[in-house]
Amino acid sequence: MDEATAPKKIGGLFYRLDQFFKPVPLLGYLLGVLVCVLWEQMAGEQLSAFLGLPKMPVLFGLLTIFKVVAGVINLLIKGDAFNWATLVHVPTALVYLTVIYLIPISLVARASVKPANALARYLQGFPLIITALVQLGLMYAVLHIWADMSDYRLITLKLTLIAVLFTLSLNIINGYMGEFSCSHPGFMAIGAYMSSLFTVGLFTSDKVLGDAVFTFSAAYLSFPLALIFGGMMAALGALIVAIPSFKTRGDYLAIISLAFLFIVKSFFENMQVLGGSRGIAGQPDWATLPVIFITMAFGIWTINNFVTSTMGKALNAVRDDETAAEAMTVNTRKTKMVAFLFGAFWAGVAGGMLAHVLRYVNPAMFSVQKLAEVLAMVYFGGLNSVYGSIVGAVSISLLGEALRPLEILKWIVIPLLLILVMIYRPTGLIAFKEFDVRQVFGPKEVD
Amino acid sequence: MPLLHVTDMSHNFGGLQAVSEYNLSLDPGQITGLIGPNGAGKTTIFNLITGLYRPTKGSVRFDGEELVGKKLNETAAMGLARTFQEMKLWRHMTVLEHIKMARYSKLSYGLMGAFLGTPKRRREERKVTELAMEYLKMFAVDQVADQLVVNLPYGDQRRVEMARALVIEPKVLLLDEPTVGMTPDEMMAMIEVIRKAHERFNLAIFLIEHRLQVVRELCQHVQALVFGQVLVEGKSDEVQNHPKVIEAYIGEQEVEF
Amino acid sequence: MTFTFLMQNLINALQWGSFYALIAMGYSMVYSILMLFNFAHGDIFMVGAYIGLGVSLGLLSLFGTGAAAILPGWVLLVLTILISMFLTAFVGIIVERVGYRPLREAPRASAAITGLMIGIMLETGNILFLGGQRFKFPQLHQFIAHTKWGMAMRAMAYDYVVVPLVGVPMNTIAAMTFAIGSALAAAAGILFGLAYPVLDPYMGVSFGWKAFVAAILGGRGSIMGACLAGFMLGFIEIMTVPAIQIMNRLFSLNIGSNLRDLIAYSIVLVILVFRPHGLFGQAYSSKLRL
Repeated sequence: MDEATAPKKIGGLFYRLDQFFKPVPLLGYLLGVLVCVLWEQMAGEQLSAFLGLPKMPVLFGLLTIFKVVAGVINLLIKGDAFNWATLVHVPTALVYLTVIYLIPISLVARASVKPANALARYLQGFPLIITALVQLGLMYAVLHIWADMSDYRLITLKLTLIAVLFTLSLNIINGYMGEFSCSHPGFMAIGAYMSSLFTVGLFTSDKVLGDAVFTFSAAYLSFPLALIFGGMMAALGALIVAIPSFKTRGDYLAIISLAFLFIVKSFFENMQVLGGSRGIAGQPDWATLPVIFITMAFGIWTINNFVTSTMGKALNAVRDDETAAEAMTVNTRKTKMVAFLFGAFWAGVAGGMLAHVLRYVNPAMFSVQKLAEVLAMVYFGGLNSVYGSIVGAVSISLLGEALRPLEILKWIVIPLLLILVMIYRPTGLIAFKEFDVRQVFGPKEVD
Repeated sequence: MPLLHVTDMSHNFGGLQAVSEYNLSLDPGQITGLIGPNGAGKTTIFNLITGLYRPTKGSVRFDGEELVGKKLNETAAMGLARTFQEMKLWRHMTVLEHIKMARYSKLSYGLMGAFLGTPKRRREERKVTELAMEYLKMFAVDQVADQLVVNLPYGDQRRVEMARALVIEPKVLLLDEPTVGMTPDEMMAMIEVIRKAHERFNLAIFLIEHRLQVVRELCQHVQALVFGQVLVEGKSDEVQNHPKVIEAYIGEQEVEF
Repeated sequence: MTFTFLMQNLINALQWGSFYALIAMGYSMVYSILMLFNFAHGDIFMVGAYIGLGVSLGLLSLFGTGAAAILPGWVLLVLTILISMFLTAFVGIIVERVGYRPLREAPRASAAITGLMIGIMLETGNILFLGGQRFKFPQLHQFIAHTKWGMAMRAMAYDYVVVPLVGVPMNTIAAMTFAIGSALAAAAGILFGLAYPVLDPYMGVSFGWKAFVAAILGGRGSIMGACLAGFMLGFIEIMTVPAIQIMNRLFSLNIGSNLRDLIAYSIVLVILVFRPHGLFGQAYSSKLRL
């Protein structure tokens, strides 16, 4: 009896939660999170001191919790000494998470339903771009304040945003178009190297690439050019894969693109002009949070524009039935080429940003492991979906960070999780869901 | 001068002669039927005319232009729409998206429009949506415009497919067994749909059918195909009662309602 | 640039190619039966090599080494290979059961992902249990005829797969395929260990993916093709080094001999451009579909 009713109860809880938050628009959540981060900035230190946490939790207390878990595991496996007193960090970190994040966000989001919806409705009167910019600005403010509290947060956030763009660019090919591309890390590598070549070669003095060609103070303004250059070169590289691959049908792309990945890696390893296997270092620190955020938002916007247009929908048609697509006047070869090059372009841009965040780039970064990682993000989040790519990239990135204390065990947990997702939802968590910008930024109408 | 003119078209698959010396002339507004037992090469003829396969020899002229060497999407854009026996709908796409997709070749907003969502693109997409809705209404499937096409009942799927082909605004429509797998009622409804479409758009229709009743109802002119060759050609009832045709059909499981 | 130098390289190429061939056949076998690529296969090769290491060390401690040896080296080798093949076959069966069987109905791309993930888990498991050290493989037996062994193994595999499996349930066929493929990978692992006696957890990644490319080059699902392409890839990889040296000497150039991978894959790419279905594959139009 109890067993039979238990799942229902959970379902009921989720249902109630769902109903509770249903009328909250994005704006409401943004306000809630804004309050959270401000509240953390004000009271985070004091609260963690009060709770006896060693320092303010940087990643919602998750890192703290997994540090304790890792300690216990090491005790069990290797018999390492374990300070039992740290066990108390688990409940205190949870308290921290609840007090700083969960309670304020729920309260503010729920309490602000009326004004937030009214504001969203008011904003809807303006062109979509204004609505979007206002809310994106708010989102940026939240992220900025959150990341301002530690360097660790800043770099994690930057890498996560880059991962979102990179994942979505692969989703165009593997999800929307339904091919299986393995060369995406290669495109990222091309983007990273080429934009580094641009910035390091032209504007800084470097052992590998020689003296600066130009020196002027506003050189950072050329960073978008460097990114575009990197993206363009990646797209050019993609052409080498695309021309033979799309001549015939079938899972031909998977192989050619894999060979291409090896070629690119080997190429950069052997180019002594580009630093060989040591790569290029000393990129200028131009990939700041606003730059990355704007680039990511712009990237998502263009990709979403593309995949929701009839021209982009042709990708789905090609995936679901290529002959039918052709019979309905779709130029399938052109469609595939465009999508592939477009995906490669954004992968290149993501690579350019990555190189300038880490401020080094070497061939070892773009191995089969990188491929496994980005494929994991795409398939975990969900195919054919912008939401999916955001969720996939953010959750795998965060999970990777949160599980860092587990060290090598992390690489058991994440693959296992992904296998489970594949078994129960073979196309990923949020697959085939259209990302309607107007709806996302608009008010929630609930009767 | 006929709208679609096929002369001496032959095709072989690796030595096997699938179609030999096939001829067809289709005038504007004419409905011609193509009947024949399974494996006679009827669908192959469709594939050859529309450019899915390339004929080994012969010529296909459409509106005065040579089609041989053109690809399927090009012939379709020129106004030679076709349907498929197995429908070939896109399983992850909605009804409305199906119809809009067939306007692909008429989109003019270009890549930059697609990427950047220019006003021109928005205008054009809106226009295409309106047009698509009109067609959906015409085929009585506008109520399910936002549903995935795989969730529709069979008859509706057939109608969506028909609407999808017609939104290309073709001059010739090639229908590959449009009533396959239908109940008698569904079949009668489909005949009506085809008849209506024919009148409304003044289409020339070239129709493959297995069911002789459909051919009898719709076609003025019929060809009977056996082993890739036209056996008899002429008026509908003449062809159907021709001894050679009856002979060819013997042993075939003919479903005649 | 003597004749012996070339001969030595040729023998190396044959040997190197025989490893690729053995692994590539595993890929091809799974593909021909299940129409999917077992992306964990490279790591099964790694596991096979480590199992071989464990078995050989165990046998050596049982039967003694050097002058105290009870059994001759070749007997030990045969025993090692047979036992390891048997054990690795079980690893293959488990991989199929956990990673592939639940996804039989799912899109093939999803199965590719689970394969990748299982590969990562095998590597991690290795590092967890063995600390990620490199191990030296014991020299069981001095033998030159790796290639001959490889040939024998392939003939066996060919017979097994060609044996028609009519009326056998799909699950059994799948498990059998994985078992045989994994056993072959184990054999390749041991031969590899004998020739290049250092094992590390990532040997499956570096080696397996190349063997995968060989499997494709041979033509999907064509076991003979995979085998020949494996030899070809080994040949290309090994022979580019002397080729570059000769070129350098002839035209007084200065090309680095570490361009090996670059050249090998470029050749692969060119072959695939002109023969889209591989060297021995038939035209097909399947896709890693959704």
